[in-house]
Amino acid sequence: MRPLDGIRVLDFTWVVAGPVTTRLLADLGADVIKVERRGSLDFGDRRGGLSGTLMRGKRSILLDLNDPRGLAIARRLAALSDVVIDNFSARVMTNLGLDYDELRTLRPDVICVRMTGFGLTGPDRDHVSYGPTLQALTGYTLLMAEPGGTPAGFGYSYSDLAGGNLGALAVLAALWHRRRTGRGQLVDLAQLEAVASLVGPVLLEGRSRPMGNASQERPAAPHGVYPCAGEDRWIAITVFTDEEWAAFARVVGLDWTHDRRFATGAGRIAHAFELDRLVAGWTSARDARETTAALQWAGVPAGLVADAEDLCTRDPQLAARGHFVDVATPEGRTVRLDGAPFILSETPARPGGPGPSLNEHGPEILSEILGMDADEITDLQEVGIVGA
Amino acid sequence: VTTLDGVRVLDLCDEKGALAGKLLAGLGADVILIEPPGGSPMRAIPPFWDGASDELRSLFFWFYAAGKRSVTIDLAHDAEALRRLVATADVLVESAPPGRFPLDAFRAANPRLVVASITSFGQNGPYRDWKASDTVAQAMGGMLYVNGHPDRPPLRSLGLQAYHQAGIFAAIGVVSALLARETTGRGQQVDVSLQAAVAGALEHVPGFWHQSRLVHRRQGTLHWTRYFRVGRCRDGWVMHCTLGDWTSLLEWMKADGMDAEIDDPALEDIKTRQAEAERIFDALDRWAAGYTIAELVEGAQLRRIPYAAVRPPEALLRDPHLAERGFFVPIEHPDLGRSIPYPGAPVRLGAAPWRVARPPRVGEHDAEVLR
Repeated sequence: MRPLDGIRVLDFTWVVAGPVTTRLLADLGADVIKVERRGSLDFGDRRGGLSGTLMRGKRSILLDLNDPRGLAIARRLAALSDVVIDNFSARVMTNLGLDYDELRTLRPDVICVRMTGFGLTGPDRDHVSYGPTLQALTGYTLLMAEPGGTPAGFGYSYSDLAGGNLGALAVLAALWHRRRTGRGQLVDLAQLEAVASLVGPVLLEGRSRPMGNASQERPAAPHGVYPCAGEDRWIAITVFTDEEWAAFARVVGLDWTHDRRFATGAGRIAHAFELDRLVAGWTSARDARETTAALQWAGVPAGLVADAEDLCTRDPQLAARGHFVDVATPEGRTVRLDGAPFILSETPARPGGPGPSLNEHGPEILSEILGMDADEITDLQEVGIVGA
Repeated sequence: VTTLDGVRVLDLCDEKGALAGKLLAGLGADVILIEPPGGSPMRAIPPFWDGASDELRSLFFWFYAAGKRSVTIDLAHDAEALRRLVATADVLVESAPPGRFPLDAFRAANPRLVVASITSFGQNGPYRDWKASDTVAQAMGGMLYVNGHPDRPPLRSLGLQAYHQAGIFAAIGVVSALLARETTGRGQQVDVSLQAAVAGALEHVPGFWHQSRLVHRRQGTLHWTRYFRVGRCRDGWVMHCTLGDWTSLLEWMKADGMDAEIDDPALEDIKTRQAEAERIFDALDRWAAGYTIAELVEGAQLRRIPYAAVRPPEALLRDPHLAERGFFVPIEHPDLGRSIPYPGAPVRLGAAPWRVARPPRVGEHDAEVLR
């Protein structure tokens, strides 16, 4: 069994943030019905790859929501769903007549999740945004920079992952609440607030500056990202304690590790700049993977800066956890997907299948859930209300 | 009634797992932070209120402990006190190296207990005894490699995002396990690895490897989709975007007499704009140089083009939109004689407000909890 067996999610989400929420619900056993439009953006192979990893284990139906008959089908599906979720701008679902006030007349205990950029209230509620927009507004872009350097920020939409993962937590909590009280609710997830909440203690400090790769937790030195042998190879090293420093010094085995300035934590931090230069001199001729292992087996937190190939093909730890999963497609292919990144010992979350092809499950959803017969479905397909 | 009303959580986490308890406390669970008699080592982590190192004033601790209760137990000498609490709990969250706590014994004593463990690499596997910092986990989880300028080293994130993702996934695992317990009557173990949590918070990196053996690299502020890049304007930085209404953007530029370079019908196609990103953003930078951030963002948003100010996090404290939504919640700190605005709900559940409350003093709840 899985924790969300028997839970149905009507999923209007697209791009990344919303699909991240619903893929976790699908991993946990929910029946996620992805309502799709023609010509909607995807990232290539829908079975595997980025699109497949976002849509893993979901069912797909192509529905024309601009036609009243298509909308009527969406409303009938909503009435039979525990969770209805979208990540459009605030007014889209209201204009479609699918906002919470409407949905609760169809199903009083529905959990309605609205994932917008800025939330359902407030002066900026109609502003448009993507992940990079929100990362700029919340400080990530400006502060992910070297001291004195220009902003770099994330190379991707971390905000979509942060908001998406927090969205799944909210749905689970709302399901728990419904089980206890019998009541549904409206969940207003402003992706701006979701990613802002993760900035950390600097929000309490009220002032900030770019810290490069310095420690943002317990003070540590050396702490940073150092060059290794080969093209664009790097290793992250963190030395928090005297014990870790002693272990580090044993692995390095060079005179400078006995420099009295580096004998205490306070000394290492005071001379971090000099220390970084010496560490980089030591790492730069060494292999990143071997150095990671040498430092780790000596007791020093260290890790090669993994690129996509390292992560997906050369990491025995992720492999041992079954982090990536091979699934069969109906066409007889095997595609590799990311799985849920946590392990539940008794009721594991896992991808229930590959990403669906567009409208793969349209007819089956209409017959199985709405009880339509073949003629009815064919009629709807002929006029283009439902995908053929 | 709070969302997780009546759920009792014992929080044995250090900073690696501290966000899990914070999220569960926000949802209204009774989260009891177990500290050693002298106080959690997290209380010594900077930054500090007023800058000077003071274990009573760690903003780091305050951020992660807000809304939790504090109970002091000397675990080395009073295992019995912990066992008694375990018998009363629904959930135990811990982030010690594998094997440090007798988790099986806890679960045997309380079969309904959900145990969430956050470790560097997981409870099993060849790296289970390896150690990570937030930066090391970001490195091995694939986040670091794609951030930063191409001619500079990869760059870690603002905030402890490896720890944060692990905390989110632990909270997801905990509530999932509580839901499963409604059916099975039994708890279970949730195994969260910092490294895997980072890998679960990536976007393009694993997907494009699986799909086409593509290794994405860092490319400064140019987003991997090539539709976003940071540009300089008169008073700072702005996030450009070439998704949205391209015609309106061009008309705006034309009105400013800046159109020649990118007034090209081929660029009406979104895929062409992706391919020609550098040329377009260079032209946008030249155009934006005459504007202030506020002018650009207002003009773009009026035209439904997602522009944004590139600003420091403290700007959030003065953001009128967040003010109207009440995102920051003033929390009274009696020992400071003032209140401090704390970031509030990451997501708003309509049935019950997100709980934000003052972080506890060491052992503040000893009497009421241990009695």
